[in-house]
Amino acid sequence: MTVRTHCPYCALQCGITLDISVRPVALEAQEAFPTNLGGLCAKGWTAAELIDHPDRLTTPLVRDAPGEPLRPASWDEALDRVAGAIRAAQNRYGANGVGLFGGGGLTNEKAYQLGKFARATLRTAMIDYNGRFCMSSAANAATRAFGIDRGLPFPLADVAATDALLLVGSNPADTMPPAMQFIDAARARGADLIVIDPRTTRTAMKARLHLQPAPGTDLALANGLLNVLIRERLIDLDYIAERTTGFDAVRRAVRLYWPDRVERISGVPEADLVRAARLLAEAEHAMILTARGAEQHSSGSDTALAFINLALALGLPGRPFSGYGTVTGQGNGQGGREHGQKADQLPGYRRLDDPVARTHVAKIWGIDPSELPAPGLSAYEMLDRLGTADGVHALWVVASNVVVSAPRAGHVAGRLRALDFLVVSDFFLSETAAMADVVLPSTQWAEETGTMTNLEGRVILRQAALPAPAGVRSDLWVMRELAARLERPALSADPEEIFEELRRASAGGKADYAGISYSRIIAEQGVFWPCPAPKHPGTPRLFSQDFPTPNRRARFHPVEHRGPVETPDAEYPYYLTTGRLLRQYQSGTQTRRVSALAEAEPEAVVELHASLAQRVGVGPGDLVALRTRRGRVLMRVRIVAGIRPDTVFAPFHYGGVAAVNLLTNPALDPHSRMPEFKACAVAVEAGPSRVETSVGGTTHD
Amino acid sequence: MIDSSLRRPRAQVPGPGNRLKLVVIGNGMAGGRTLEEILRRGGKDRFDITVFGDEPYGNYNRILLSNVLAGIEDTAEIYLNPIDWYTDNDIDLRSGVRVVRIDRSARVIYADDGTRMAYDRLLIATGSRTFFPPIAGLWVDDTTLTPGVFGFRSLDDCSAMLEYVKDARTAAVIGGGLLGLEAARGLQNHGLRVEVVQPTPTLMNAQLDDTAGGILRQSVENLGISVRTGARTTAVRSRDGRISGLEFADGTSMDCDMLVVSAGIRPNVGLARRAGLTVDRAIVVDDQLRSIDDDDVYVVGECAQHRGQVYGLVAPLWEQAVVLADHLTRTDSSAAYPGSRMATKLKVAGVSVASMGIKAPEHPDDEFVQFSEPKRGIYKTIIVRDGKLVGATLLGDTSKVALLIQAFDRGLPLPEDRSALLFDLGAGATEVGAAELADDVQVCNCNGVSKGTLVGCVRGGEKTVTGVMARTRAGKGCGSCKSLVSQIVEWAAGDDVEVDPAANWYVPGVPYDKPELMTKIRELKLHSVSSVFAALAPDGQEDAQSKMGLASLLEMIWAEEFVDERDARFINDRVHANIQRDGTFSVVPQMKGGVTSVQQLRTIADVAEKYDVPMIKLTGGQRIDLLGLRKEDLPAVWADLGMPSGYAYGKSFRTVKTCVGTDFCRFGVGDSTTLGIRIEERFQGIAGPGKMKLAVTGCPRNCAEALCKDLGVVAIDGGRWEIYVGGAAGAHIRKGDLLATVDDPDQVVVLTGRFLQYYRENAKWLERTYAWVPRIGIEKIRSVVVDDREGIAERLDADIQKAVDAYADPWRERERPATPGQFRTALPLTVLPQVGIAVGRR
Repeated sequence: MTVRTHCPYCALQCGITLDISVRPVALEAQEAFPTNLGGLCAKGWTAAELIDHPDRLTTPLVRDAPGEPLRPASWDEALDRVAGAIRAAQNRYGANGVGLFGGGGLTNEKAYQLGKFARATLRTAMIDYNGRFCMSSAANAATRAFGIDRGLPFPLADVAATDALLLVGSNPADTMPPAMQFIDAARARGADLIVIDPRTTRTAMKARLHLQPAPGTDLALANGLLNVLIRERLIDLDYIAERTTGFDAVRRAVRLYWPDRVERISGVPEADLVRAARLLAEAEHAMILTARGAEQHSSGSDTALAFINLALALGLPGRPFSGYGTVTGQGNGQGGREHGQKADQLPGYRRLDDPVARTHVAKIWGIDPSELPAPGLSAYEMLDRLGTADGVHALWVVASNVVVSAPRAGHVAGRLRALDFLVVSDFFLSETAAMADVVLPSTQWAEETGTMTNLEGRVILRQAALPAPAGVRSDLWVMRELAARLERPALSADPEEIFEELRRASAGGKADYAGISYSRIIAEQGVFWPCPAPKHPGTPRLFSQDFPTPNRRARFHPVEHRGPVETPDAEYPYYLTTGRLLRQYQSGTQTRRVSALAEAEPEAVVELHASLAQRVGVGPGDLVALRTRRGRVLMRVRIVAGIRPDTVFAPFHYGGVAAVNLLTNPALDPHSRMPEFKACAVAVEAGPSRVETSVGGTTHD
Repeated sequence: MIDSSLRRPRAQVPGPGNRLKLVVIGNGMAGGRTLEEILRRGGKDRFDITVFGDEPYGNYNRILLSNVLAGIEDTAEIYLNPIDWYTDNDIDLRSGVRVVRIDRSARVIYADDGTRMAYDRLLIATGSRTFFPPIAGLWVDDTTLTPGVFGFRSLDDCSAMLEYVKDARTAAVIGGGLLGLEAARGLQNHGLRVEVVQPTPTLMNAQLDDTAGGILRQSVENLGISVRTGARTTAVRSRDGRISGLEFADGTSMDCDMLVVSAGIRPNVGLARRAGLTVDRAIVVDDQLRSIDDDDVYVVGECAQHRGQVYGLVAPLWEQAVVLADHLTRTDSSAAYPGSRMATKLKVAGVSVASMGIKAPEHPDDEFVQFSEPKRGIYKTIIVRDGKLVGATLLGDTSKVALLIQAFDRGLPLPEDRSALLFDLGAGATEVGAAELADDVQVCNCNGVSKGTLVGCVRGGEKTVTGVMARTRAGKGCGSCKSLVSQIVEWAAGDDVEVDPAANWYVPGVPYDKPELMTKIRELKLHSVSSVFAALAPDGQEDAQSKMGLASLLEMIWAEEFVDERDARFINDRVHANIQRDGTFSVVPQMKGGVTSVQQLRTIADVAEKYDVPMIKLTGGQRIDLLGLRKEDLPAVWADLGMPSGYAYGKSFRTVKTCVGTDFCRFGVGDSTTLGIRIEERFQGIAGPGKMKLAVTGCPRNCAEALCKDLGVVAIDGGRWEIYVGGAAGAHIRKGDLLATVDDPDQVVVLTGRFLQYYRENAKWLERTYAWVPRIGIEKIRSVVVDDREGIAERLDADIQKAVDAYADPWRERERPATPGQFRTALPLTVLPQVGIAVGRR
């Protein structure tokens, strides 16, 4: 028997089938699913290894006292501990003494229920999620400019029909390989691919033009491109006049970004800047897509706005096969930010500080609007204050491995230790779970039903293919049980029932799911939101008529180059930038346990330019220490030609001595609260000559 | 120095209603930039700000003045902060008002309009002015230059020059530095003969060594700008009150109608000096950009002297503004300015010059790397000290400047091989064939499949490419390695390779190659796209990607019996016009052989006027394109034109381009126009797998570009004609292959028809002749089309005749639209195919 479902990893949510009549379960790609068309990457092909994995947690674990090991326990004991700790924290510190930390891999139903659980059941303001570390800058920028935040405002397949594609800090050849089919199809038609990336990634190698700026200078580059377009009269004045506001201020701001100056800031040759501007302007259809490389900065939301300005000046958004989008990373990075696990949001992409939104949602939840808490702290701010006077003291982490994935991870681990109580739900014992007082084993992708919203804004359905191992429960079930133990109003644990409530809660909001049902999703290969009514066809393409802003126009925003908060100096002379590898995902909790993937990338490797390696005095395979103001890690050296000589690249999938987020800078974007993962100042030193241990290969101690 | 006990106590803590008064003297780039930095740090809440600027405008980007002079940049685009920016930020701008005195003990300034204003903090940003060397006759009086003499410093200078050049023919520029050369280029752009007069032996001597200066001189002279070096100007000659020439110290002289003096700048420091501030070459400041005499007085830009250095470039000003603002607003009281690294870059028409840091080695251990190629005007040097770049000069080729300047600014590690800093060294990558690849080379990165694994799979008995891909998952990620996987499988399987059937299918959704598919369609009498899917596709599944290709094939097979289902067509084919970027359409009427008439031109002109056509363009195919028509107007436009469609939109026969032929051309050996028109009349509008662009040219000079057409005919001596096929000059460039040489036009027409029909029947959907001809091979095509080795020539001729007979001008649909909404206006920007892989459409 085969079940159609979706890959457990990234936002492409490739269609797959699972043949569950055999063990190990046989996994195939769906030939006709529109985002992968039969393709899968190495992570997808091996995803079935997660099922029946020997490391699976199959019983709750509790720790009797600090310093004691975790031991197996019954669900009753574990839930009693959790409920007791929540009550104790509420009594001692008030409702905001309890916090929740969610994940961008959770289904829409779980994300929705987590928001409701926090605000209606626990009445705490303290809920945020790891999507804050991914999509918040692009989301903030799109909301400011277009009045709506949907990663891609068009189907991914439209990329195949564009004539010029600018990718900024995006490396789909490694991060979502099946998506390259569309880019390759466009290139085969003669489309120009332009890539902005400090590294010569596999995507950059395919580009007609590769711009290689210093980390954190993308904004200056975007303003420089616009400066050239204005000078050469290549902007679309009619579009600007009819469909936008605010161009004059931007026009004035970018006058300061003449190509010579941008060349000096970014290191991108003037001739390449001019050529990129012309390629974009002369194409019949053009697209600009940003990703984490541009967005994970303390000026990330302004950087995204700079590229949106460029797209608007060229008259792209709303035109066929044209526009601006962001390439979402996590599996449900899109849906996860729409339905209420974000500190400032209510379901349907409503704002928690909007009285009308509060009334609407409170009514559906059967509470008084005044009972809803105010917006809480963003992800890093919450973690930073754990165990402090005005912070959270009892924290539930669901499907997130903050010890590896949060910036300044050493500090975050310290804050976790300062908590009165930590409970973690996951299906493997992640580095974060290993620190918990109670660990709750969760169902995983193939064992539960729920919807996800992919990078296109297409709502898709993951279907339970297999029964969960005995002793494993869904997070929805856990919320229901906790609500009962806390003597709060009952919660459902049935995903479809929760989805029906989510439909009503989202109705009339920006992300309107009111017309979407499980049966429609199955029949139509997913439905694009907004979809306000059952008869509504869904909305594959946004902005063809106008923009969902009060005056129906898109908004320009003048933005200025600020650069990274930390710049190289005598003690920390280089830039560190971080990112993903082809065969790993997120904090590696899953992928480091898949044998075929782990064997291919057994240890954490830092990429260095040959001239930097020579200056440091190391060769391929040597250990180096990377040191910043926040910590030190060890990694193996790989010498690559295609990286700037002032920049080192390290992947963020590894824990222990190779956890690169021990180094990263938690400087936050003022608008989105995104930390500056992508640029900080680092020292590179020859490591210990004797191999102490394998770096990052083990999953945890 | 003022005794500090005499000072008023400083107001230190601003708050609401307790803001400090900040007065800024100077509204140039430095003052404006510093204000921006102050505002960004919440300066609006800390300060009441007044700005005095003696130019009567908002602030503008002075470094773009040379572009304005050269006519590259609009004056409007160089303004940085227009007047309303000051209002928006609550800044009191006094433009056109000059500050004449600073009373530091009272902390008050006086201006030439009588203003007296107290300050808590004073920012001096008075910039600098043109230095005029002592030359007799330069001035009419103390403040007035001789008419025709200009400085090059302000927008006023620029505007005055732009006015004056209209009546001038020759100009001299005194000063062969950066700005002087840019002025020379700017004036030359206005048609003036320009001579640069440089008092020293070397151009740009501040940045360049003698060798570089010499090469630059050569390049500048090659552009037609004269250069006179080592010439000290002693006097300006005048005639009728205007400049007429220059005299030099060596007794020589020259005539000129105007003179630009660009011999350096002098900081504006009189005000500061009179206020008792320490002035050396400029106002002396500390690392916080404060005057060393007075903690309440800040100085920024070209009027500031920091650690002995006065900067005349824009980048240092930027760096100063940041430190000054940090300190003044107390955002970062420890902010300190360490001095700036100097780098410049300019372009004198074709000559690029970049220079940074020192121009020659200074220490015995300095590493000096030089490359010189005077013939091409190229000269490059770098100076490395302790492994870091401390100086570089690039002349003629500045392609590496971006790398060098970052290495210079940031101390990047330098490659051992220093030449990599000066040149782009080729990676030397060579294509390696399937046979030479090592076994452990990863072929599919996405799924980690090596060549060895692929070969092993083939040896294990899997002989098809798709089979190997399914088993190894090679090519099943991003798919970009598919062709390499095929090559390896074919190589590994040798003669045993089994052809993957899907590779030859005409369209992806129907599992037959083209001949088989055509046979089936004929046998089953399938006249519509939907009937083909129902009868031949697996499970009767419709496939969006296959529709257009099938529609084209059916039209070819059935001609007028083809049942045209509109949803199978692309918008262009639905409305018989070419959709444009903005959703409007272009209309190209037929103009056979590119020959037109008075009547046609008049009609086209009338139509263009009536429908307000925004652009009328001659096409590469010798027709007239009316661009920007709205969809709903198309039927009326066609009716008014009364001309047939030129098919400038479809996958079909497009046009025959011709040269003038024999009637008028002195070289023509064949009547190309008559033959071209005849071919176009015969084959007009027939559909095919791709576009068919033809040409006939009357002699081998090839004016109609027949060698790079899908089919091109060339007249040669003796009344004979050559026929070339498979040429292209689009995204791909290919010279056509010679198909045949024939004796008369009739034979050309026959072979053209036969070739086109053979192509229509055998090419894959969207496969142009430039791909199809080499795939099939010209010998094979010749054997069928010319020599009839397969005995199908007669049938090909009959079938093309059928297609010719079925021709109907699609623009006649104006009288009965094929569907009710065919020409309904599309809402703006909404013409889109269904979700799924969009089909190529250029």
